[in-house]
Amino acid sequence: MLQEFEFVGVLSAITLTIPIVTLLIAWALRPKKPNPAKQTTYESGMETIGDAWVQFKAQYYIYAIIYVVFDVEAIFLFPFAVALRQLPLYALVWAVVFIVLLVDGLLYGWRKGALRWN
Amino acid sequence: MDALRLLTPEITITIFAFAIISLDIAWNDENKSRRILPWLAFAGGLATLLMIFYIWPHVDQYNYTAATDAGREVPMLAVDRMSLFFKMIAVLTVILVGLSAGEYVEKHTPFRGEFYGLMLLAGLSIMLLVSSTNLIMIYLALEFLSITSYILTGFLRRDARSIEAALKYFLYGALASGVMLYGFSLLYGATGSVDLATIAGSLETTQAGLVVAAVILMLAGFGFKIALVPFHQWSPDAYEGAPTPITAFLSVGPKAAGLAVLIRVMVVALPAFDVNWTPILSLVAIFTMSVGNLVALWQTNMKRMLAYSSIAQAGYMLVGLAAWSAAPPSAVAYLGGVDAIMLFLLAYMFTNLGVFAIAIILENQMGTSEIADYAGLIRRSPYLSVALLIFFLSLVGIPPTSGFIGKLFVFGAAVNQGLYVLALFGVFNSVISVAYYFGVLRNVFFEKGSDESPIRVGVAMNTVVTITVVMTLLIALYGQPFIQLAADSAQILAANF
Repeated sequence: MLQEFEFVGVLSAITLTIPIVTLLIAWALRPKKPNPAKQTTYESGMETIGDAWVQFKAQYYIYAIIYVVFDVEAIFLFPFAVALRQLPLYALVWAVVFIVLLVDGLLYGWRKGALRWN
Repeated sequence: MDALRLLTPEITITIFAFAIISLDIAWNDENKSRRILPWLAFAGGLATLLMIFYIWPHVDQYNYTAATDAGREVPMLAVDRMSLFFKMIAVLTVILVGLSAGEYVEKHTPFRGEFYGLMLLAGLSIMLLVSSTNLIMIYLALEFLSITSYILTGFLRRDARSIEAALKYFLYGALASGVMLYGFSLLYGATGSVDLATIAGSLETTQAGLVVAAVILMLAGFGFKIALVPFHQWSPDAYEGAPTPITAFLSVGPKAAGLAVLIRVMVVALPAFDVNWTPILSLVAIFTMSVGNLVALWQTNMKRMLAYSSIAQAGYMLVGLAAWSAAPPSAVAYLGGVDAIMLFLLAYMFTNLGVFAIAIILENQMGTSEIADYAGLIRRSPYLSVALLIFFLSLVGIPPTSGFIGKLFVFGAAVNQGLYVLALFGVFNSVISVAYYFGVLRNVFFEKGSDESPIRVGVAMNTVVTITVVMTLLIALYGQPFIQLAADSAQILAANF
């Protein structure tokens, strides 16, 4: 078992080496002529305004969490849907239980006003 | 029995938890929630307890030899006597804490549905954790327990100390989980399996160093839940800031769960493996007892003092596991020490929840939990004062109480295996603990308080205190059934006997 991980070790070494070597080559070959326009964050884009460390509205996170509910649901339901023909009725009942639990979570968020933007 | 029936306790508690949360939002009615939800939580606890008793007689028929995941009714979970015992502890904790939380919840938070729902879900997570026989299941259940505990600790979200407690608990917890997962990955790398019984089968062929490292890293995760030294730093802050009923829950529930999973990993996965765990376990036990007791001496806040006291108590429990690990390898079926831990835990649960019930009553009345404010309690409520005396006698381990029986068995198991130094440390520590427990009692009985008004005790609170007092005395005075229960419970499925 442990010997099989040698393979992983060799692969990791290779994957680390390739980008480092490429970066080193690029660094050695490229001309270095910096000027203020080149040093900006987006060279041909908008001028950046203010600090990146600003406070986000906490509601974004609540939306993200509710989104994750559906994400997880999709991940679990896809393999279930693919195998549906071979599964007994029993499995369908469990899938429904699973969805009911998730819907309960959504209803909770809805009722608590997590879906209202203010 | 088929899988569905073996899981009835878990299913019952899940249904009640979701019913509580859903009904709370469906009603959207303060009065209705206040009247019905606590009783629904209580009913849920009782129903789950009944289900555990219903399954109990049926789990004796297992063949205990090499039951790996493949041939089991419920994959990844072992429904055996040990897990049922710990489930009983979890559910009793939820019931007693739920009963004593009523008034506190009304005073501090409008979110009743979430409080009782999460309490039941925390109970569910412990029930899953104590029967996990698979590293992945252990991790998922442990995270489930952790996340519910974090939320409950930070439940008073307008209270800065509660938030601070939750954040500290979360940061330490995240670190401990990471370290534990690293241990899991090493164990998986060494054996190629996540099933404990299969790991046990393939350990003989792997390197000692790797497995010792893996186990020590895993100990960080379990030790964090049990609050073993040196993974205990979160506990005093979390205990002090958390809502007091939740502190009571944290001091019993996650501790029992962590201990159960530690026992299961040790007993199921590691005996085939020729490493002497006794020195590691003994050292952790000695440090846990000593640090807990010595630091408790300096506390002026009841909740903080109880935090350190419960760290020390966890140390005593670990003595039992050290005693088990010291048994000669020829007697692998020997689970002596494990039954001692269970008896100790049973005694500790009733005693500690009783102390916390009194702390909650006094906090509801006085608004603080400083030990100085306990002065003159004897004139304000003789019943609570005497109850507190009984609980503290039990925590020290003085005869007519359950704590004595628990300690007798745990230290007895250590002496049986020739771990005299460990037992001696345990006894010394019990003597040290007299100082701080009796410091509180001195305040209660001999100091004069500024406030002389009698303490009002509600019906639910009275019930909790009475139950815990009766059980604390009963386990000592009529101990045979409880000793038998602990001995019967030391049966572990999937162990390679």
